[in-house]
Amino acid sequence: MDILEEIKKILVEILDIENYIITPETYLIRELGAESIDLLELAVAINSGFNIDVNDDEIFLRKLRQYVTEAKQQNNDLLQYLVKNLPFLSRKRLEEIIADLEGGPTLKVKDLISYIEWQKS
Amino acid sequence: MGGSCDLAITLARRMIEAELFPILTYRNEKGREYISKNLKDCQKKYSSVYLEFGNRDSIDSLLHQTGDDIDFMVDFVQGNFESLVASADIEDVYSYFAENVSFRAEVVKKVARIMMKKKKGRLVFISSAAAKRPNPGQGFYAAAKLASEAIYKNLGLELGGHGITTVTLRPGYIDSGRGKKFIQDHSKEIINKVPIKRALTKKEVAEAILFYLSNRSAGFNATEISMDGGLTAGK
Repeated sequence: MDILEEIKKILVEILDIENYIITPETYLIRELGAESIDLLELAVAINSGFNIDVNDDEIFLRKLRQYVTEAKQQNNDLLQYLVKNLPFLSRKRLEEIIADLEGGPTLKVKDLISYIEWQKS
Repeated sequence: MGGSCDLAITLARRMIEAELFPILTYRNEKGREYISKNLKDCQKKYSSVYLEFGNRDSIDSLLHQTGDDIDFMVDFVQGNFESLVASADIEDVYSYFAENVSFRAEVVKKVARIMMKKKKGRLVFISSAAAKRPNPGQGFYAAAKLASEAIYKNLGLELGGHGITTVTLRPGYIDSGRGKKFIQDHSKEIINKVPIKRALTKKEVAEAILFYLSNRSAGFNATEISMDGGLTAGK
């Protein structure tokens, strides 16, 4: 199963958008305008389509800002803290996220793919 | 949920007559036997499954048995807890809300996600007139009912556009279950308090629930309906 193609199909249906604008680098919230109800639908569709348990907070990086605050408060290295709390994302991706925090919600299509692969492995 | 109460069994019987397949939950062997005894003429037209409020493992066990095929959910479950607010054992208060609010929220969340896959579902929460007008000693009971009503209301608000709707029914005095003895002991008082001068029958409440499960009631969503003979309308 091509995970990206499956996710594209799901997003096209939920967000009523064209397939071609979705790539692994597409931001779900910043670019596609996904709202909380869309993300809920997405979580249910991923659970059903890939037959995996989905924790909404994890897959949509909802606690990212909380982890950033906690790392600062506890004087922890932010990258190490995120590696521990978001184990389905690579160090490279987490470095990208840290550099991108000022830009708004960082969630990308490729993060969903990483979560699905991690849950399936 | 709460399938071993008389009202749930009356509803199950009406659902079977309407060619629906009810699944009744029970929390112990006594409940399972009570359902079986009262629906013995309806074998293979219903099923019963274990669900104990507070036992989180029992949710997954329940949903494993029902699979992804849930069209309706009627929630009768409510633990009783009578105590004056200022005299309650605070440990009991914590566990009461964990069982009757947090646990319910988990069930509702999981059932709603199953219904989302079908883009269709109807949930009816059986609250109580006590949510609007509690007697002394019913503060925690009423608080848990109101909190649960809010969960159902918001679900209907959030997912109404996805085909999932909710209704809360607040029955008053019912001549059934835990209210039966109270009604027998206080019949004169009740007649004086209720404008229709009688308690509700379990049959008429079951009929109302069936209506709120039907397509005819599709316009009711995220709302509370009082069915109390006018009990809570006046002073």
